[in-house]
Amino acid sequence: MYAIETKKLTKVFKDKTAVNNIDLNIKKGEIFALLGTNGAGKTTMIKMLSTLILPSSGSIKINGLDIVKNKQKIKEIINISPQETSIALNLSVRENLEFMAGVYQIKNKEEKINELIKTFKLEKVLNQKAKTLSGGWQRKVSIAISLINNPEILFLDEPTLGLDVIARKELWKIIEELRGKITIILTTHYMQEAESLSDRVGIISNGSLIRVGTAKELIKISGEKNFEDAFVSLATGGKL
Amino acid sequence: MRILNFARRNFKEIIRDPLSIIFAIILPIFLLFIFQQFDIPNDSYKIENFTPGIIIFGFSVITLFTSTLVSKDRTTSFLVRLCISPMDQIDFILGYILSIIPLIILQNILFFIVAILLGLTFNINIIFTILISIIISILFITMGIIIGSIFTEKSSSGISSIIVQFVCFTSEIYFPKEILGKTFSKICELLPFESCAKIIRGVLNNNLELISSRNIIVFCIYLIVIFIIAVLIFKKRMLSDNK
Repeated sequence: MYAIETKKLTKVFKDKTAVNNIDLNIKKGEIFALLGTNGAGKTTMIKMLSTLILPSSGSIKINGLDIVKNKQKIKEIINISPQETSIALNLSVRENLEFMAGVYQIKNKEEKINELIKTFKLEKVLNQKAKTLSGGWQRKVSIAISLINNPEILFLDEPTLGLDVIARKELWKIIEELRGKITIILTTHYMQEAESLSDRVGIISNGSLIRVGTAKELIKISGEKNFEDAFVSLATGGKL
Repeated sequence: MRILNFARRNFKEIIRDPLSIIFAIILPIFLLFIFQQFDIPNDSYKIENFTPGIIIFGFSVITLFTSTLVSKDRTTSFLVRLCISPMDQIDFILGYILSIIPLIILQNILFFIVAILLGLTFNINIIFTILISIIISILFITMGIIIGSIFTEKSSSGISSIIVQFVCFTSEIYFPKEILGKTFSKICELLPFESCAKIIRGVLNNNLELISSRNIIVFCIYLIVIFIIAVLIFKKRMLSDNK
């Protein structure tokens, strides 16, 4: 059984097809990167996979559960760290963690919160209001919160966007540590991030999934020397 | 439990924004105080009639307050996170309503303290009025949820300010509805604000005959319809915001 299985997945907004007929299987414990240019359909894909919007046609199965019929069950086993600020800004870091633990009705609440504080080294900002934190810390807290329910599948939408190199490397380390334990689907614009973090990469262009493979496989298919050139070549059909 | 958890979070957000609280409480108290300083020859301005009017005015400020809270939540990805969680629309709506009830109680207590200082006689009806006010406030909170779900943070304040004015004109706070003619009077009767003010006035003055069955029916219909619309619009906007 796959963690995520889509068949002919399509999303149409009025007259624009944002996601077109995508068949995709993602294995359990895999880190899968969705790459694409702006407006390629990555975020729409993530929104459908995470129950936020319904597909126009096609099907999605999460851990074997149909997303339309078992939406509520699926919500219990997934989580997301969205692209923009996604924490309660007037609450402290601890209050944010406590609030989300309440949303997911976590039984061993204190234990889980302390574990996340330790993993993400949140001790020194714990009582600080979220709005006073730097972008890097806010992102860290956002990802920490997304692990509060021990999700089986985690969606990370541009997890390191706008972060400095040190903050980015710190987050990569945390994501690396989750490898094999959680299925992670991440979208990113950073080629190095996709190449070094993900087990496989899917390239989306104009709503269609063009290629899926490991970074090495994609370089080989494109005939280019590095991953960035391989992505450009595959995403543009070699026109650039 | 999820409702209480969400209400707790909203309440913390509210009390950490003292300016809004000051606006929701101080402004109505100022009006209550200032209008009692003049000997206005109109029954509407007698303290036992004007205090219920000020309560309704305070609730219209709560509409503004709620719409800002909801629209602010919508502008961040915080709600995206919550929409993916197991929370449903009812959890959201009741969470917003419950978080504002303490502010309603605080508003009422302070209004009555000032009213008593200005000459209102203290009696048990004040307690009943506060209890009835809590139910009436739900209408104003859900109106705020609808406005906050439809409009942006800036537009929400604008639209809600119009509602505040509308409430002032149609609830007989400052003048009897008949003063502006039959058509205006009919409009006031069809809208819920005059009925809300009359229910509070009747309970506070222990004059239940003042409350007509039309007042109760109009209020109940608006409360149920506005609540259902709030749930539906909130759900619809959550989906469209996330497209």
